[in-house]
Order: sequence, then C-alpha cells, then structure tokens
Amino acid sequence: MRTGIAAILLAALLFAGFRPVGKLPAIGALLDPASGVWATARTANLPPIDRGSIPGLGKPVQVLFDDRGVPHIFAATEEDAYRALGYVTARDRLFQMELQTRAARGRLTEWVGPRALEADRRTRRLGLAWGAERKYAAYDRNSAGFRAIVAYSEGVNAWIDGMRPRDLPMEFRLLGVTPDKWEPMYSLYFFSKMALTLAFNDATYSRLAAQAKVGRAAADALFPVNSPIQEPIQPNGLGAPRYDVAAIPPPGAPDSAAVLAFVARRNALAAVGDSKPNANGDALGSNNWAVAPKRTAAGHALLAGDPHLDLTLPSIWYEMHIVVPGRLDVAGVGFPGVPGVIIGFNRDVAWTFTNTSSDVNDFYAETVDDTLHPSRYKVDGTWHDLEKRVEPYRNRAGGLIHTDTLYFTRRGPMTRELGKWVSMRWTAFEPSSEQDNFLKLGYASNVSQWLDAMNGFVAPTQNGLVADRSGNIAIRSTGRYPVRPGDGRGDVIRDGSVSASDWLGYLPPSRYPFAMNPAQGYLASANQQPVDPRVNASYMGSDWYSPWRAMRINTLLRGDSAVTPDAMRKFQTDPGSARADAFVPEFLAAAAREDSAGRADATLHESARLLAEWDRRYTKENRRAALFEKAMEELNNRTWDELLDGAGSDTSARPPRMPEAQVLLELMRDPTSKWWDDRRTPAVVETRDAILTASLRAALVASRKAYGDPSGDGWLWSNVRQANIYHLAHIPALSALHLPVQGGPSTLSPSGGLGTQGPSWRMVVELGPEVRAWATYPGGQSGNPASPRYKDRLGLWLNGQLAPVLFPKTPRDLDHKRVTSTLTLEPR
Amino acid sequence: MLTKAVRFLLLTEGFAVATFAVGWWGVAVLALFWALVTESIRRPVRFATICAAAGWGSLLLLDAVRGPIGELASRFGGVMGVPPVALIAITLIFPALLAWSAASIGLALRRMIPRSRGERADAAVEPVPSGSGGGVAIADV
Repeated sequence: MRTGIAAILLAALLFAGFRPVGKLPAIGALLDPASGVWATARTANLPPIDRGSIPGLGKPVQVLFDDRGVPHIFAATEEDAYRALGYVTARDRLFQMELQTRAARGRLTEWVGPRALEADRRTRRLGLAWGAERKYAAYDRNSAGFRAIVAYSEGVNAWIDGMRPRDLPMEFRLLGVTPDKWEPMYSLYFFSKMALTLAFNDATYSRLAAQAKVGRAAADALFPVNSPIQEPIQPNGLGAPRYDVAAIPPPGAPDSAAVLAFVARRNALAAVGDSKPNANGDALGSNNWAVAPKRTAAGHALLAGDPHLDLTLPSIWYEMHIVVPGRLDVAGVGFPGVPGVIIGFNRDVAWTFTNTSSDVNDFYAETVDDTLHPSRYKVDGTWHDLEKRVEPYRNRAGGLIHTDTLYFTRRGPMTRELGKWVSMRWTAFEPSSEQDNFLKLGYASNVSQWLDAMNGFVAPTQNGLVADRSGNIAIRSTGRYPVRPGDGRGDVIRDGSVSASDWLGYLPPSRYPFAMNPAQGYLASANQQPVDPRVNASYMGSDWYSPWRAMRINTLLRGDSAVTPDAMRKFQTDPGSARADAFVPEFLAAAAREDSAGRADATLHESARLLAEWDRRYTKENRRAALFEKAMEELNNRTWDELLDGAGSDTSARPPRMPEAQVLLELMRDPTSKWWDDRRTPAVVETRDAILTASLRAALVASRKAYGDPSGDGWLWSNVRQANIYHLAHIPALSALHLPVQGGPSTLSPSGGLGTQGPSWRMVVELGPEVRAWATYPGGQSGNPASPRYKDRLGLWLNGQLAPVLFPKTPRDLDHKRVTSTLTLEPR
Repeated sequence: MLTKAVRFLLLTEGFAVATFAVGWWGVAVLALFWALVTESIRRPVRFATICAAAGWGSLLLLDAVRGPIGELASRFGGVMGVPPVALIAITLIFPALLAWSAASIGLALRRMIPRSRGERADAAVEPVPSGSGGGVAIADV
C-alpha cells in the first residue's frame, strides 16, 4: 500500500518537477536552491572582484561599479567599450532586453502562447519588424553605429554563453524559457519600438473620430493644426504666451466618409497600447530647458533633462559612463539593448531630448486587384506587385498557432479596414542611422559640433537641447518632416492610386525649429508646438500637446535671473499649473455670476468655496486638487458630449481623445456656443456658465462619494493620484504601486490616468570648468527583483531629489570607497 | 562504524551535492539508491526524508549567506501568491517528499531482492537497539 502511494507521489513530483502544470512553471528547476530561483539571491549583489571574457575583445577592459550601480567602463577602443557595455547590461537587464525585443518583433507568443497572439499580430501588421529589418539591410556595414551594435551583441552573447544556472533571471524561470542569442539587428528592433512610442502620430485618428460625428469644420477646430496658445520652443520674442483665439464652429452633421479612416487609425493605434493611453496631453509629456550663463548664479550654463516615458521596473534607462582615453568620455543613460549614451554629457557638452510629436506617418487608400487576396496595387494606372510576407506565429514548443499574410506597397504595410485597403508611410520605416547620430553626440566639444552630429537624424523627431562649457545653449527640433502635396496636411487619408498623393520630399534642416543663444537667456521645450506658425508656417503636425507645462517652465525661468542647479532640480517637480491658473478663475467667475443671477444653490456655494481654497498647486498634502480634477472631467464630458459614443445619453463611453484643454479654454470666449448645450436636456439650451456650474456641482457630489468629507484624508492629493510603476511583465509583486507623487495633470512632473507614465530620467548638468551632474530615475540599475539595486533610486525620485553623478577621468579618480565592484573583462 | 550524526551529515550533504551536480531530481536518485543499499540504519526512509530537507535547507542557507534571501522570498512569494515562509516551507517539503517516495520504493525493491547469502531481503536488517521500542528498522514509517 505504502509503496503504491510512494510510486504515485514520486511520479506526480517528477511530473510537476519537470513540466509546467497550469500556470505554475516546472517546480523542480524553479525551487532547486542550487541553481533555481533561490540561487538568484547570490547574484543580487555584485561581487567585489569579478572577471569575465568576451570573444573579439582587443584589450582588457576594466569596469568599476560605483555605489549607485553605475558601470564606469574604461576601454582601449570604442568597440571594446561597447562589448563591455553589452556584457554588463545583459548581466543587469537580460530579461528586459529580450522582452522588449520580442515585443517589437511580435514574437511574444513564443513565450506565452495564444494570449499574446493579437498583440503580436498588431505589431507585425504595423510593420515594426519589417521596417527594422529593412533598415538593418541598408545599414552601412562600415559605419561606427553598425560596428557598435555588432560589438554590443558580442558582449551580450558572451554573457549569455557564460551564464551559470544561477545567473538566469527570475522571470525566465517563471516563464520556463531561456534567452535567445542576441543578434545585432535586435538593437534596431528596439529603435522601432521607440518609434512606435514616440513617432506614431495619432492626430489623424483624433480628428477623424470627431469628423465622423460632428463634421469636418468642427473637427478641424477641435483638433487644430496650430495651438491656440503659442509659447513655442523656438522663442517668438514675445516673452509671454500669445492666445490665438478663434471661433469654434458649432457641431455639424456626421461625416460617414470619415468612419473608414477612423477605424483604420483605431486599429493601428491598438498596437501602440499603453504608450498611447486614453489620456489627453495634460497628463503626458517630457520637458527640457537650458539657461545661459548670464541668468545663472554661478555664471555657467545649466541644462535640465526630464524625458517622460512609461514607468517600469526595471527602468527603461540604464546609466553608464564610457571612457576611451583620448577619444571618448561620456556619461548618461541609454536603452538596454542599444549601445551608447542617448541622453547625457561629456567633458564639454550636455544634451537631452523631448519628443517633437510631429506628424510623420500618413495613410493612403489603395486600389488593389483582389479585395480578399491582393497581389498587385495600382498607381497612376500601372499595376505594381505587392510585397508579401508570410508571418508564422508559434508557441513555446515551436508549434504553429497562426499564420498571417502581410502586404506591403512601396509606401509601407497595408491593412484591410471595412473592406478597403489602407497603406501607411512612416518615416520610421525609412533607411536611417540614428545609432550613428547618438554615438557621435559623445564626441562633440561644443554646441555646433553637437548639432552637426544630429544632422541626418530621421525618427523619431526630437527637440534636442544642448549646452556647452563656453556658455552656448541651443535647441533644434530634429528629424525628417515629410512635405505633402496640396494643403500639406498629414492628418487626412490620401488617394493611394495616384503618385501625386505621395510626399514631395522632406523639410530642409534650415526650416527646422531652431534657436541658439536667444536674447531671453534660456530655452525650454515641453512637447508644445515647436515654432510659431507666424514665423514658420510649414506643416509639422497638428493637435499638439497642451502648452501648460511649457507655459509653467517659461514662467519659472523668466522669474529667476540667478538660477542654480538646485533650482533646476526643484523646477522638475514644481507643483504649479498653468492649466489650473486658467480654469479655476473660470469656474469661480461662473459661480459668482450664477449667484448674482439668483441661480446658485448650497451645493454650488460649497463647491465654489472649496475650490477657492485651493492654491492651484498639486502638492501631495493639498485637499482641493481632487475637486478641480473632477470638475474638469465633468466639464469635458458635458462640453464635448457630441463626441461621446452613444450620442447624448452615455457620458461614460469616451472617444479615443477629447480636444485638448487649450481648445476648451478657447471655447470659453464664446459663452453661448452651441457646444455648451447638453443634449441630455433637450428642453433647455445651456450656456457656458450653466455647464461650468453644473460641472462644479457634480464634481462636489462625485468627490464626496469617492473621497468622503472634504476635510478628510480621502481628499489628500497623495491619496487621489499616485504613480504606479509596474514590472515589465505586469507582475504586481515585482512592481512599485500606489506611490504618492507631487504633481498632477499639466504640471512639470505630470501625473494622470493610471499613473504609469512620468519622468523616466531627471538630470541637471552644470557646464562649469568641471562638468557636474545630478540625476536619478525611478528604479535601479539591476533587473534582479531581489537586488538592493532593483529600485534603490525610487526614494530619491519620489521626493524630487537627485544624486550626484560620478564622472571620473581614470579608474584612480573614482573614490575607492564608492567602488562596489570591479569587473575585469579579457579577450577570450 | 559511523555514528548516526555523521551519517546524517554525510547524507544531507549528499543530497546537496547531488542537487548541485545533476539537478533537483538528484534527490530522488540518491534517496532511491540510499534505500537500496543501506542496511545499517533504522528507519532509512524517514532518515532520507529528513536529510533531503536538511540538504536543501543547507543550500538555502548558503544562498542566504551570499544574498538577500529574505527579499527574494518576499518577491518570489508575492509572484506565486503565497507567504514567503510558506514558500520556504514548500522548498523544504518538496525534496522531502521526493526523498520519501523514492526511498520507499527503494526499500520495497530491496525487500524483493534476495541477499547474496541467501537470506530474505526483508530479514537483512539491523536489530533495533534495546530500549528503542522493539521491532525492526526496516519497518520504516
């Protein structure tokens, strides 16, 4: 009897030990304390002394890790440095590198099976892998960038090949998979992924969704080509925002022709996922600014970098310092999977980027020979063969679970929407060498050289800000801007059957938004429209991010003529809001007018009183920002009810995007616009004040319901809006959730929506006789959840603090007390 | 003759080494082999069970000395949806069950194999020392 039980038990244990059961991975290898997940504890801390080897390494490389986990790589050549960087990045971030690459390639099913199929299909249909592979094929094999990605891959593979069982990251064990060999092309897949995040413009979608409901004239006004508030990146000399207020046409008849375009864009955007959340520009975006010596306390140029991206654990960034004596000495952050510093500084120059958010992708309605299985498409009366690509989707065991046939015209990938074929042309698919551009930045010794290094940069278009030790500051919105025929707009779907619809070329660099050493003594960008259309009317995009952050940082910089590095740091988490400054008075004035007219009730009185108590600062401890945000939400839904799905009856179903708040502010100038009328009350025609006060009343009711008594802690901003930094695989136990942060929609450190996006890297650099820098990011250098370096920087980040960045010229210059590990890499 | 304590240490480390050398299933192999060949210890199945758990416990201790095992247990437990302590307990119970089942089978096999001297396998047991409650060691529970 007992033997029988033992046999059954042994069989069961062996089965569960060797094979996954349900969602559980194979528990034998997982629990094994010698080489399973427990053994990863032994790799959580870097060994004080370590050695490794890399094939192809020219000379030994010394890597010193400081107490912030930053590798200082001292190599004889650039290629050796990138080999070493690949090695140490893989050691710290292998799972992240592999996951990101798989996501960009649309090969997640090979890890998690059919549940990732739709995501993979969308990714491949967008042509991300196709575009990356075309770029790779066209990449100059002799370029520094190409040699760098090859060297980097050699370093990554040296780590993978030499991994001991305990080095396998926990996530691989939980998934029951092992890492692939790293190919040089994978670095380009990552660039494709970033292009999707940063250069996939959804303005067409927003506008067409509105056009389908309220007609073109109204849609054009709601999602305008030019921002109604102008405080551009390229200073226009006004020294203050300019309000270009125009009348917004009333809602018109629905435009059924726009529905196709709407669907095409919606499907394409589904692939973008979390990187384009259903949130307005108030809650998203990056900042950068630089101050000329004449406006700094120490007389040295200052630069602040503050790119906002998805907040993840581990972070999207990896901090590094690379030294090749006599040639290169650069520090900053780069992307795991890509060699080199993207944002950072060297001994002479510091730089950073914000996204330009320009319109660099267009759609074309194509004419094909067969609606279901096309093989050719027609342009100017001539048939052309479609490029076909059969895409197999496999599960973990290699079994085929689905196959797609993708079609490509000369413009790009083609998808079928409502029975019609639509192709997409996108600058991110064009041959380019961004890797070379980024690597060259590290060699610049002044602003002019840095700008030269960015020449030829294609995508994603970036507002590159740079400052040097000579006191120069400059900004240029660099990238490839398509020039379209006709009215030049890119937020329409064009006729693909004629070549006259195609791009005519690209904007010459001389027309890029640009400023250097402006009279105002500072430069700032926050994703706003880069150039005043009265200065440069070239179409670069539409439906720009709201200007509130730009207005706020310009206000702060105008108000401080002796800026210090610490002031720069404080600006990064400044709780002030130009949006609140614009709208709170509107609410209060409307309440006062309704009161004067005898239409105010107790709810309105209390709501207005509570709102008036607010200092319009999104500090963690304030109790009134929550009311304002509820009021803004109500105001949006009540004003733009014509755009809501379920016309006039259901305000919970929102279209992909509402007009930006600056358009709402524009509408305030027209108190009797038909947009104010709430269609849910057909017997009454509402005015602006009626909607503002109704929103205020509703906000109080909703806030009481959600947060309790207005004097209670439920109303504390820290309890209302929090940052949520998820692990890359969205595993809550490996995430940092419900983090109270200072800032709200439209502040310089914006938080909104799900709290999953925000400041991904904060940096301040002083370009004095010796360059000094301070920085941090939310997370830590290690991808090992058990490591003390997994999220050791979170505290600093949450409190708006920065850590001094160590920048030694030689290994001996690095304070040995701050060296936690020394790794020597030798040729294999 | 080796003392019981020394045997315990040897077998415990045997399980640890087997795990290092061949992987987690080395526990089952060693337990089976142990039960097949051992004659000099009473309750060999129970002995192997305890030693297997102790062997993995010593490996866990080694991990703990060289890394933040508590933090890892907390994270890993969160992922698996169990308290960290339970996860450690499961990690000790798993080899114990492996060893118990494999050793039980080994013991049963030993009973079936005739001894070279013609004795019945189940008679080839060490007499239980006086004061231990009588019976034979092979009657492991």
